[in-house]
Amino acid sequence: MIGLLSIAIFLPAVLAAPTYLLGRKNAKVAKILGLGTTAIVFVISIMILVVFQYGQAGFQLSESIPWAGSFGLNYKVGIDGISLPLLMIATFLSLLSAAGSWDQITFRHAEYYALFLIFETGIIGVFTSLNLILFYLFWEIVLIPMFFFIGIWGGPRRRYASLKFLIFTYSGSAVMLFGFLALYAWTGTSAYPGGPSFDYDVLAARIPNLALPLQLVVAITTFVGFAVKLPIFPLHTWLPDAHVEAPAPVSVLLAGLLLKMGGYGLIRYNLLLFPKAVNVLWPYFTTIGLITMIYGASVALVAKDIKRMIALTSVNHMGYVLLGAFTATVAGVSGAVFQMFSHGLAVGMLFLMSGYIHDHTGTRNIDELKGLRGKMPQTVTLLFLASMAAMAVPGFANFISEYLVIQGALSVSYLFAIAIVAPALTVGYFLWMLRRVAMTPGVGPKNELRLHSILILVAFLVPLLIFGVYPPPILGSVITPTVEKWIGTIVALGAR
Amino acid sequence: MALLSLTPFLSLAVFGLLATPAGFLRFRNSKLGLAPFVSILGLAVAMVSTVWLGFTSSSPVSFGGLQIDSFTLFFSGVLLIVAMFVAVASLQYMRDDPNKGPFFGLLLLSTLGMIVLAASMDLILLYVGWELMSIPTYALTAFRKNDPNSNEAAMKFFVLSALSSALIVYAISLVFGITGSTGLTAIASALSTAGPDVRPFGVLAIVLFIVGFGVKMAVVPFHMWIPDAFEGAPVTIGAFLAAGAKMAAFAAAFRVFIVGILPFNVDFYSTFAIVAVVTMTMGNVAALMQKSFTRLLAYSSIAQAGYVLMALATPFTTTNVPLGLAGGLFHVLNYAILKTAAFVAAAAIATKLSVRDLDSLNGLSRRMPQTSLSIAVIFLGLAGVPPLNGFFSKVMLFTGAIYSPYSWGGYLALAALINSGFSMSYYGWVIKRMYFDEPSDQSRIPEPRIYMAVLWAATILIFAIGLYPDPWIRLVLSAAAALH
Repeated sequence: MIGLLSIAIFLPAVLAAPTYLLGRKNAKVAKILGLGTTAIVFVISIMILVVFQYGQAGFQLSESIPWAGSFGLNYKVGIDGISLPLLMIATFLSLLSAAGSWDQITFRHAEYYALFLIFETGIIGVFTSLNLILFYLFWEIVLIPMFFFIGIWGGPRRRYASLKFLIFTYSGSAVMLFGFLALYAWTGTSAYPGGPSFDYDVLAARIPNLALPLQLVVAITTFVGFAVKLPIFPLHTWLPDAHVEAPAPVSVLLAGLLLKMGGYGLIRYNLLLFPKAVNVLWPYFTTIGLITMIYGASVALVAKDIKRMIALTSVNHMGYVLLGAFTATVAGVSGAVFQMFSHGLAVGMLFLMSGYIHDHTGTRNIDELKGLRGKMPQTVTLLFLASMAAMAVPGFANFISEYLVIQGALSVSYLFAIAIVAPALTVGYFLWMLRRVAMTPGVGPKNELRLHSILILVAFLVPLLIFGVYPPPILGSVITPTVEKWIGTIVALGAR
Repeated sequence: MALLSLTPFLSLAVFGLLATPAGFLRFRNSKLGLAPFVSILGLAVAMVSTVWLGFTSSSPVSFGGLQIDSFTLFFSGVLLIVAMFVAVASLQYMRDDPNKGPFFGLLLLSTLGMIVLAASMDLILLYVGWELMSIPTYALTAFRKNDPNSNEAAMKFFVLSALSSALIVYAISLVFGITGSTGLTAIASALSTAGPDVRPFGVLAIVLFIVGFGVKMAVVPFHMWIPDAFEGAPVTIGAFLAAGAKMAAFAAAFRVFIVGILPFNVDFYSTFAIVAVVTMTMGNVAALMQKSFTRLLAYSSIAQAGYVLMALATPFTTTNVPLGLAGGLFHVLNYAILKTAAFVAAAAIATKLSVRDLDSLNGLSRRMPQTSLSIAVIFLGLAGVPPLNGFFSKVMLFTGAIYSPYSWGGYLALAALINSGFSMSYYGWVIKRMYFDEPSDQSRIPEPRIYMAVLWAATILIFAIGLYPDPWIRLVLSAAAALH
């Protein structure tokens, strides 16, 4: 029986072929099919929202179909309170990014939209799959379109950036795959009845019996794979290059969704599957998160290119996810999930805006953008709002998520008070950027964005403000019940 | 009725012998002559009968040393796919060559040798198959007899290959001396009770087998001939050597080591593990430095041989399931398809662009879009990106290594996975050249239809196996079980 989730996953990939074949002759057809498909998938995700049972903790809308049963593989998907927010931003950001591509992608439309739809299949699959190999499959499907996006449609250094991105993330995934395969082999011995399996639920039941050294090996190797994507401090160097060189709508996907794959993997696989290993590793992981937060913010402070600055905010903000997740507290993990949701929207808006600004002014250099207020007054207003979201000003969803992460961290150890340096630095570099770009006297003739572009940008703000003012629909009834259940389970199994 | 099981062998022998004289006959206006069609018909008959036997025969059938079981049929299928792709691509590649008869005849006879190799349960028969496979390939490598590169390649190939044959004969004679038999089952039972006095000779025989097979499998340090031979030989013969001869050597090694030598209780596993890691690392690192497309393919094929070798290092899991072995067989299938297709793509480029260096690939996606797309798919498959076929065989191999009873299994798998990640740097680099770099010449190049047919068939297979691997996994599991 094919359910809503499978339709959401495979519809884009299926429609990628007609998009390419029909769009080759006529770019408009490719644009309409690409944007139309993402819109349909968004509608399907709204339907998922409607049928989702709120306040429940287990996996819902599950589907399980035999796939390669002779090797312990089944096609199994399902969502819970951790994956639902990510599924929603996946479909929402894909829609907005496809809409943003309408103006900002100017050549080879058929290939672009076909790859775009394959990317969407991959990203939805990552957030919904409940089988390790299936997860890995979708994880890699995301990689290939991104490689081509950066390499074909990217900026001047696109060749270098695309290859660096591919090699970094593919090597990271190879190490992660080792963890998955080891898990299959080590929980497939005769001590575990039922034979080896890649199934998430089966593994979740078996891993508590796995010896601690083996748990540590798997937890560390999978951590490497997720950490490259997140990214964490020493493994982040692909990110500024990839984000800066990618075309703006693709940067939206990169920062808004691709990084969330790392965060989601850390929570879903690393934190929830290895309670004993988490008990050993959490001080290291949270420290890395802390360093990443502060490092990202410090480097963003000196960035000259506005897009590079936005890229480095991602490093800064994804550090919160790592910190929050490995506090293994309800507040911290809920905050981490919520942070992925709100950061995806805020950074997506900033990236798309940087693309529009570049198209209209011909530059992304912060110093050269002085006086932008005169040219693009409405855009500057939106830039203010997006920066406020990224700075985690109360009233935006980012405030609640960052607050929860720091609350969770402080409840574990007062040493984490140092984390407060990161938001301070974030406010610092955003205000400094705004002072240079927006607070200077306006110059030049007016060259404002067109209405539809403004509307796309405003669409990012709507959920940020709604959930910033009134978070319970997402936090209390979706994220927290699931997190509470899982944290209860893993704490009982020895995670701190 | 049991004679029907020999149909693949008989078909290849009969049509192979017919192909050479058929080369003298030709239709009135056709340049191609009759030989290619005779040989493709022979391959088709062999292929159909292999598939039919695979579905109908349940128990192994023996004719003396020749055993037709699911392992034999599996390898026949793989090798016939390779031979079929090579023969069809050669229709185009050899179009202007006057000696099509011998070319296609030798191709079929060599394929026959490979299948005999996979089927042999007797060391003498194995050696006959080995030579029947090798001798035609020397001639095929040197087929462009006015081309000094082709001659040099054939000479290097011949000398090393003859050496490997000699070593294998020596190993066979040692084994016969110890056990008094050349049949693999008799050898197995004799070796399981062998006393300590014959152990040194047994170990020597194992070493000689490893070296002898190793030359054909092109594992480090016996890989030197591969890049030169692949570059000098006609490109379609490069495919035949890389995917056919190499995999047939693996078939022989599987037979000898798993059926014959396994009960001897000698730790050849760790030797294979070390050779595997060195081979894949060396192949991947060297591939990164190549400037010619065929040499890059040669080194990537060395790296891939390292992965298959893991099957001999870690054939069984702790629960005695032949997972690593099955993964190795699966990788043989996937590698054969991928590598043959890669060489056919190289042939398509070589016939249209006179230069073979990697710079000629710059911006190829604008000039030869279909070829570029299939090279991209093939290379991602070789790198092991899901949902392409190379992924699942690698997953099975690496899982088999971790799951094996040896303490070093996990390190072997980790080394292989890091290699697999690293290999993306040159596969991705070629894709980058084709899609992201600017061509020096923008003109569109016509893409020969025959090559495209082969490439599309391969691309469809690559996706089909990758998206629905279940029947193939069951096939390789049963083939692996037939050995055990």
